[in-house]
Amino acid sequence: MSWTRYLKTYQVQLKNNFVREAVYRTNFLTAVTVDAIWIAIEFSLFSVIYANVETLAGWSRHQVYFFLGIFFASDALFTIFFQRNFWNFSDLVNKGELDVLLTKPVHPLFLALSRSINLTAGFNIFMGLGIALKYAEPAGFEGGWRWLLVFVWLLVGLITALLLRFAFSVWVFWTDRSWALSRMYYQFFAFATKPDSIYPKTIRYLILTALPFAFIGSVPTRALLHGLSLQEYESLAAVLLIFLGLNAVLWKMGLRRYQSASS
Amino acid sequence: MNTSKAGSAVIVVKNIRRSFRSTVKKEGLKGALGLLFKPQFQEHEALKGVSFSLEQGSFNGLIGANGAGKTTLLKILSGLIPPSAGEARVLGHDPFKRALDFRRQIALVMGQKAQLWWDLPAMDAFDLLKAIYEIPTPLYQERLNTLAELLDVKRHLQTQIRRLSLGERMKMELIGAILHWPSVIFLDEPTIGLDVFAAHKLREFLKVFNHKEKATIILTSHNMDDIEKLCTRVLILRSGELIYDGRPQGLTEEGERRLRVRFMERTEPAQISKISGLPISSIEQSAESSEEDEKTESETPAYLIQLKQDQIVNVLQSLMQSLHIVDMGIEQQSLERVIQRIYSEEKELGTSPQAEHL
Amino acid sequence: MKFEWRLAALKNGFQDATAYQIEFLFEILGSAFVPAAIQWVLWYALFQTGGATEIGGMGYQDMVFYTMVSLLFSQIRGGDHDFELGELIRNGQLSNYLLRPVSVVEFIYIRGVAPRLFIALLCLSIGVFLGFLFDFSVLRMFGAMLLALIGNIIHYQIGASLATAAFYWEEAYSIFMVKNMLVSFLSGELIPLNLFPEKMQWIWKCTPFYLYVYGPTQYALGRWTHEEYLFQLGVAALWLFGAWAMIKLSWGVGMKRYLSLGG
Repeated sequence: MSWTRYLKTYQVQLKNNFVREAVYRTNFLTAVTVDAIWIAIEFSLFSVIYANVETLAGWSRHQVYFFLGIFFASDALFTIFFQRNFWNFSDLVNKGELDVLLTKPVHPLFLALSRSINLTAGFNIFMGLGIALKYAEPAGFEGGWRWLLVFVWLLVGLITALLLRFAFSVWVFWTDRSWALSRMYYQFFAFATKPDSIYPKTIRYLILTALPFAFIGSVPTRALLHGLSLQEYESLAAVLLIFLGLNAVLWKMGLRRYQSASS
Repeated sequence: MNTSKAGSAVIVVKNIRRSFRSTVKKEGLKGALGLLFKPQFQEHEALKGVSFSLEQGSFNGLIGANGAGKTTLLKILSGLIPPSAGEARVLGHDPFKRALDFRRQIALVMGQKAQLWWDLPAMDAFDLLKAIYEIPTPLYQERLNTLAELLDVKRHLQTQIRRLSLGERMKMELIGAILHWPSVIFLDEPTIGLDVFAAHKLREFLKVFNHKEKATIILTSHNMDDIEKLCTRVLILRSGELIYDGRPQGLTEEGERRLRVRFMERTEPAQISKISGLPISSIEQSAESSEEDEKTESETPAYLIQLKQDQIVNVLQSLMQSLHIVDMGIEQQSLERVIQRIYSEEKELGTSPQAEHL
Repeated sequence: MKFEWRLAALKNGFQDATAYQIEFLFEILGSAFVPAAIQWVLWYALFQTGGATEIGGMGYQDMVFYTMVSLLFSQIRGGDHDFELGELIRNGQLSNYLLRPVSVVEFIYIRGVAPRLFIALLCLSIGVFLGFLFDFSVLRMFGAMLLALIGNIIHYQIGASLATAAFYWEEAYSIFMVKNMLVSFLSGELIPLNLFPEKMQWIWKCTPFYLYVYGPTQYALGRWTHEEYLFQLGVAALWLFGAWAMIKLSWGVGMKRYLSLGG
């Protein structure tokens, strides 16, 4: 019973976003050009580097390009479903939108995070996947049915980004300037834009555990190219579960604070 | 479980208290560091033991100055915040548990906060509410039709909400809030910022809806017209305490009258007090007439005398024996004035801790 | 020239930025640490694990010096007060500013630049200290900081011109995202610009962005002669003037439209 309500609600949100995009027709340009330029910059960065060396920490030029494709597709997924909702996240508390959401018979987070769906960013998934497709063979990706695995790993990337972004946003309950932390998210996010193997040990350990930005694109790519060890699968699952638990606790605590501070 | 029968209590509040802490921030770097390591809290009591119970289908006005605790009370009743002590029951539920069944039956409208998302036409925003509350399509269409007609906004349904005027927007908010036919509606200053005409339309609508659907409504407002024209019962909060609970007429009808007299002779409140036997505190020189004085110098000032209805004849008789009355009138005290007096007493008490959080 | 309101705006901007000291500190550290770490990691991977000895005429040590010193200047160029201008136009708050007897464009700049000036002072002291440690010229450090500050003005001027897009387009913020991405690459804060392949050098030379970070760093490290520096100061002056003319033009046209639409 309950899940049909959520499904229907999501359907309406989707429809409403179609309406919204019809209003802002120029949106397409925004979503696509921004990402295209970003892709171009990352590519030129690596082409400058690979003009000088053959391999980088065991990654060949084409493997890195394949990684960029997977990474962009994963990020595009986040852009479509969550990016704008997190931009608006601080309004929940600062403008008191949470009050109204709390009185609705649906989970307030569901409403807050399903509100904006950036449909035009869907094009960026194809850009990412196109790049991955182009460099799959020279990168040594075996392809075939394994392309199905790509979607599984994109989902892992999306979940990671969601959990991390939430962990950086939930502090809005405690600080008036939560954008400082949101900005930090994007600063750390820069670590995700490079294959994790090139980092020195400490940083690499960090982005595989406490700040698992490597799960957004780098680990999925490695899994697709060479497979992961059992231990890596285990730690991936453990880290994501811990983050889920942490987020749930932080949300509860934040809500309690919200409710005790207001008069 | 919704056990409300006609005439039975839908909202029961027993000795509710609510205190909240706010951090005290000091100036400068030292203050900020202090805040980080050893935060200092200040306790405020927003509600100090409030009890009442409201019947099904009643239209209740909640008034009080800023900071008196109105919004706090509404937040507790709608389940947004828990009371620090005491018990609240709404439709048989503990509001703060926010049970699904409870959330389906209530509506909260805050005049200063929008719940509809502004970048959509109202129609699409309502679609979302239809899905959230699982309103069957035929019922939904029927309700939307009725509401849009009553509030006269049919032609605006396809307009993006941000392009509507404040009045139209508030009407849309109201429609959105009651599309699911709630049994209890909390309205926090719904007419704030509206022009006289829009406010009137909104009031008319609320009256009809309350009458027809037997929904229990609690409304806070600073606009006395709202209270006078709508409410069958008034609750007045002052610094977190319930100081009045009863019919709105009860506030003005306790036999209190105001006598306005002007005498031929120049006189003083003390003299009037002596003649009439009324306490001097109940006599004041009318502010309006003293202005007129400047224009027509010969005129003497008018005096306003507070008294009970049954005293009028005696007082007038004794006044006439010593002075010549040129002009006089008897006024019933308006609700507005009564409320003003209550508000100003609060200021004198100096207990209003701070402005209400919105 | 009236200085009172400028001074007041400066003070106000500084107080505003530092009202939450912890966040302010985090922001500086975050925006300095992460890009530097990523750069350093790249050099590390290239030279230590990749086995390269020289890239574009620069060795490992040159690269590390570049990264270190460029940080001092990349902190100056930032600030998103140009973005703030666009928001003012979009949400109509511009009207409030128009009532004041001061230029909006200048007012927002002065308010926004206040914390940057503070950071500039901080970076200059660090730079002088580094100069004693590694034997860089103190005079060059001052000159480099001057260029970086001029760069800050040019950066804002360009942003202020772009902000006028908000007169016509609701989602003008995307222009800033594109601009900031281009700047982050072409200012030289990601990689030294001389690493560009010979044929692509013109790309960065035809924008003023290299004057923000790359230019000052080159001068501070003694890789630019004094003559070269003076020449580049002249180029910067030309950009200043050109961007000033752009502001006059774009705001003149945009404001006419804004006022004709009734604010």
